[in-house]
Amino acid sequence: MNINPLAIATSDVELNFSGKNVLIIDDYMEMRSIFREILSSCGAEVKKIHMATNGNEAIAWLKKVPFDIVLCDLILGSGKNGQQVLEEAKHQSLVGPSCLWIMITAEKTMEAVTGTAEYQPDAYLLKPVTEASLRARLVKIWAKKEAFAEIHKAMKQQDYARAMSLCDQRLSSDKANAADLLRTKCDLLLLTGEYDRAKQVLKGILAERDFPWAKAALAKLLLKKNDLDAARNLLEEVVESNPAYLEAQDLLAHTLQAMGDLAGAGNVLERAAKLSPNSVIRQKNLGQVSMKLGKMEDAERAFRKSVALGEYSVLRTADAYLGLAKACSANKNPAQALKVLGQLNKKFAADEVRVKALAVEGLVHQQSGNGEKAKQIADELSQAIGSGSMHPDSDGALEAARLLMVTGDKEKAIELLQKEIKNNPESAALLRDVAEIFDQAGMGEEGSRLIETSRQEAMLIMNRGVLLISKGQYEEALSAMRDAYAAMPANIRVLLNLAHVIITYMQKNGATPELIDEARHSLRTANELSPGEPRFIRLTDTLNELTALR
Amino acid sequence: MLGVSNKKQSDTTDVPVVFNMANFLVSSVHDMKNSVSMLICGLDKVLTSAEAAQLSTHAELVQMNHEAKRINNRLIQLLTLYKLGQKMYPFDPQSVCLDDFLRTIVAQYAQLLKFHEIHLEVHVHPDLYWYFDEDLISGVIGNALNNAMRHAHHRITISALECEGQLTLRVEDDGGGYPVELLQGNDNVMQSVDFHGGSTGLGLYFSAMAARMHRNRDLRGELHLENGGSLQGACFVLRLP
Repeated sequence: MNINPLAIATSDVELNFSGKNVLIIDDYMEMRSIFREILSSCGAEVKKIHMATNGNEAIAWLKKVPFDIVLCDLILGSGKNGQQVLEEAKHQSLVGPSCLWIMITAEKTMEAVTGTAEYQPDAYLLKPVTEASLRARLVKIWAKKEAFAEIHKAMKQQDYARAMSLCDQRLSSDKANAADLLRTKCDLLLLTGEYDRAKQVLKGILAERDFPWAKAALAKLLLKKNDLDAARNLLEEVVESNPAYLEAQDLLAHTLQAMGDLAGAGNVLERAAKLSPNSVIRQKNLGQVSMKLGKMEDAERAFRKSVALGEYSVLRTADAYLGLAKACSANKNPAQALKVLGQLNKKFAADEVRVKALAVEGLVHQQSGNGEKAKQIADELSQAIGSGSMHPDSDGALEAARLLMVTGDKEKAIELLQKEIKNNPESAALLRDVAEIFDQAGMGEEGSRLIETSRQEAMLIMNRGVLLISKGQYEEALSAMRDAYAAMPANIRVLLNLAHVIITYMQKNGATPELIDEARHSLRTANELSPGEPRFIRLTDTLNELTALR
Repeated sequence: MLGVSNKKQSDTTDVPVVFNMANFLVSSVHDMKNSVSMLICGLDKVLTSAEAAQLSTHAELVQMNHEAKRINNRLIQLLTLYKLGQKMYPFDPQSVCLDDFLRTIVAQYAQLLKFHEIHLEVHVHPDLYWYFDEDLISGVIGNALNNAMRHAHHRITISALECEGQLTLRVEDDGGGYPVELLQGNDNVMQSVDFHGGSTGLGLYFSAMAARMHRNRDLRGELHLENGGSLQGACFVLRLP
């Protein structure tokens, strides 16, 4: 053992503050001045320290000055809280990856453990903040930022191979960041679809210690491979031994939902929402599950909470408003439902939201006995979709189909549903939703038949192009995939297969600008529908190589 | 101060307000914690100023600062135990560098140790990393160090060592050692109330709970009190899997 007698003194690691901009966000003047003094005795230049008393002031400063360090109290009185300020700052790219964000809290919070990196601060610091504790934390975070700077840069440029090799390089020497490096490496392997390697690495990690994140990552991998039972078992273990790891709770709820166990998913979400009630997304998910379970009062409460939490948050969703409107309507309060839809239309302008809002508005009228108005909206909607002046997303199409079913336009409803099945023939959740719509319309059996035929048809068309290209019939493959795309323009597999066929065709027959554009368009659309699919990443790489050669 | 306390409570009002002693206790603890935080910040500011060492009351200030920190730690431990009981504690094990970890704890006691003329040594390999909840275990080691400081004559040693796949943390002093009753209660520290004479038992209870929270595969963390060790006094031993 190395004996290291310790000098009893505060370690004075040099912090280089020169030219660094600092923002302090706290609603209490005493706290702001305490933080300012601590920072200045750590070496910050007083004239580069700025202060904000609330969320809006903070955002205004963040828009004006590129900050290097932000010290932010989690609780800021009325208006935005610290977490929401951080979310908005990251969402609008007001802070870059080199900015160091420390959240100050009175006590350890559940949110500190969830670990979803996107909207996490670099550290949580408990009160009382002293010079020594802040200094130690700054040193640690700066070292970590430095260790990950190149890796994050490569990831941002989507150069995952480089990111991976940088991770491996660092892992061989950097013990302090080993845990985070390993975690990043696993994320990268999952992202690029190298499932077998990811599994191998994760198993190696788990052989030494039951890391909850590693188990959760393994569960994610199993989910990708559609092994739902195994994923559930693993996540239940994590949740049992680490109830505070909320990411696993959310993942478990998602898994149970995919398995059709709505009651189970509801229980998990309720438990997680009790532990950490301030998540906009989780409350929305809880509302949706409660609604499917027919617990309309629970649904209304959860949606209401999600809407309220979302008021100052960039993470607010239109779905929470739509859910709330539907729940109010089901709870015999149509006036409230229409009011919520009014708010929705003010806050969200997107076309897909318009479709859903209209469809739900129609359903509210239908439920409150105003069949005439419902019919009028249904006609309007179906015309707008038919003529292509409105483009519903998958949920929007289902919502519209629901309305058309109850207002008596079954033919149009079925047409919409068939199209949706063809766009997502492999999504069990969607097929269940469609079946439910048929059930409610009293056409369960007919529905099952329709679903099965549409699904099989879609599967056949989807793979025809790839089959042809593997036989070397390039021209035929291309035209088959183009037909498939025309029939199923929002089918991810079709889009990726089309790109694959075009790329293979170009490798054989040479590239043209038109074909490159077509492949790019197809990839882009696929990525918009389901961001970050490993196949999208691989195909994009191949296409880039191909165009670089030209 | 009232303003601060109201503000902080709004954060936790998801629990329905019932006329119930536990609620009052929890909210009061929050409130006190805020006050103590301000107190500590204030004292820290005074103590870090250049003239502080010249003050005739410097020793008293150091002692006050230490007592304020002790109150803060106690309040944190009460809140933590409450949350553990409600299954709401955000347990968050991370990979921790033991050298940094122990340095940070010891730094908080530096001035006080100097006044009591106690020599403290830390034995740890700079490359030793372990996986635990830093907040919980720093509370445990803080308790042990506090206790050792009250009973040590001249020397305290803290050591961290990996042994048979477990981390062993030892806090040893050259004082009179633990009373026999306490050592006999080793298997049942959870029920021990008279911690080293005059204490409330909260520290030991907290430490035992914190140790038990740490699990890896089939092993759980455990706490052990002994007499003897390298300094022939009390030995506080924490093992983490």
